[in-house]
Amino acid sequence: MDERRRRFEQLVLPHLDAAYNLARWLARASPEAEDTVQDAMLRAFRAFDGFRGGDAKPWLLAIVRNCHYTAMERKKRQMSIPLPENDDDTALVAPDADPEAAAVEAAEARRLNLAVSALPAEFRETLVLREMEDMSYKQIAEVTGAPIGTVMSRLARARALLRERWLANEEAVP
Amino acid sequence: MSCGRTLQVQAYLDGELDAVAAASIEQHLETCAECAEVRAGIVAIRKAMRGQATYHHAGAALRGRISKALRGGTISAVAGLGRRFWSGALSGAVATALAASLIVYVMAPSAQDQIASDVISAHLRSLMGTHLIDVASSNQHTVKPWFDGHADVSPPVADYGEDGFKLVGGRVDYVHGERAAVVVYRHGQHVVNVFTWKNDGIAKPGMKNLNGFRMLAWRSGDLFYCAVSDMAPAELDELSQLIRKTAES
Repeated sequence: MDERRRRFEQLVLPHLDAAYNLARWLARASPEAEDTVQDAMLRAFRAFDGFRGGDAKPWLLAIVRNCHYTAMERKKRQMSIPLPENDDDTALVAPDADPEAAAVEAAEARRLNLAVSALPAEFRETLVLREMEDMSYKQIAEVTGAPIGTVMSRLARARALLRERWLANEEAVP
Repeated sequence: MSCGRTLQVQAYLDGELDAVAAASIEQHLETCAECAEVRAGIVAIRKAMRGQATYHHAGAALRGRISKALRGGTISAVAGLGRRFWSGALSGAVATALAASLIVYVMAPSAQDQIASDVISAHLRSLMGTHLIDVASSNQHTVKPWFDGHADVSPPVADYGEDGFKLVGGRVDYVHGERAAVVVYRHGQHVVNVFTWKNDGIAKPGMKNLNGFRMLAWRSGDLFYCAVSDMAPAELDELSQLIRKTAES
């Protein structure tokens, strides 16, 4: 039992941040993301015997994703869907810096975060896995259960949408 | 959208093409304005997603709760209660830790791991006395110009002796193929190496522990900084704040 836990801590636990980042971008709110990740970690631990080596990261993230959508289904029945939070993290950008520059930087980061948050979930998760977790198409397919062709078209859509809503907007600013 | 190769351009930028296909796309990009525009969009979004968008880091409370649950085997029914309890008990500490490390991003794998291991190796070599400093001086007016002639970047240099971080010199080291400028400080018994290179959007800000050392990375302007030492996180953070101030003045 201890040996099993040790192996789990060695192989799976290092991906806790990736798990949280994905959950947080899916749920768009911290408490839900925390519950999802905790749930997912314990499920992963219980299912660990079925994990036959290979890359633990996509394996874990697939569980995180399933936990998120299961929780969403449950929630939908109660009709309360969290709105994107006004992200407190961005307020942490360089508190000691030149306040004006810091405010601009924070505002830009917030605008980008909101634009990403506003993407449809299947585009959002694909983009987050590709650009933040640096995952290959194959790994993303493994996490999301979509064929590689679908991963590619979602990624293209995600980028086109973000470009339209965020980048175009940015370019308009002199 | 008239060119049929935009998905290939995307696959190329995502590192999914073999050498032959990549060469063909590179050639195509030289003549197809539409694809060149697609590339520019992808590159800009990538830079923003890796540099500006928030990477959400699992907090200490969540981490603690999970490792406790793994050890104790106690699960979901107590989870909600656990969170409220821990968030109350720990919120002060967590908030301080968060504020202290500015944005607690985490380094994503691959390139990040390579960078981290380069920085740690260079730090270790410097501690073994084989290559700590190329220019030994506690005078910023000696160290800073030296970098102009030897490194690819010109980092802020100042002596923070009054705050406990004494400038001892500078050197050049290679990190991920870049000539990084390294400013060396001493804090009591601790040596701190502050690596600086051009901010290319690949390395991510954050605090990381590796092989018993601690790294704090941040970006500021067009430079990327990574301070490494065996000091406490708060001390590393203090130094990073001082350097930021110098950089901005």
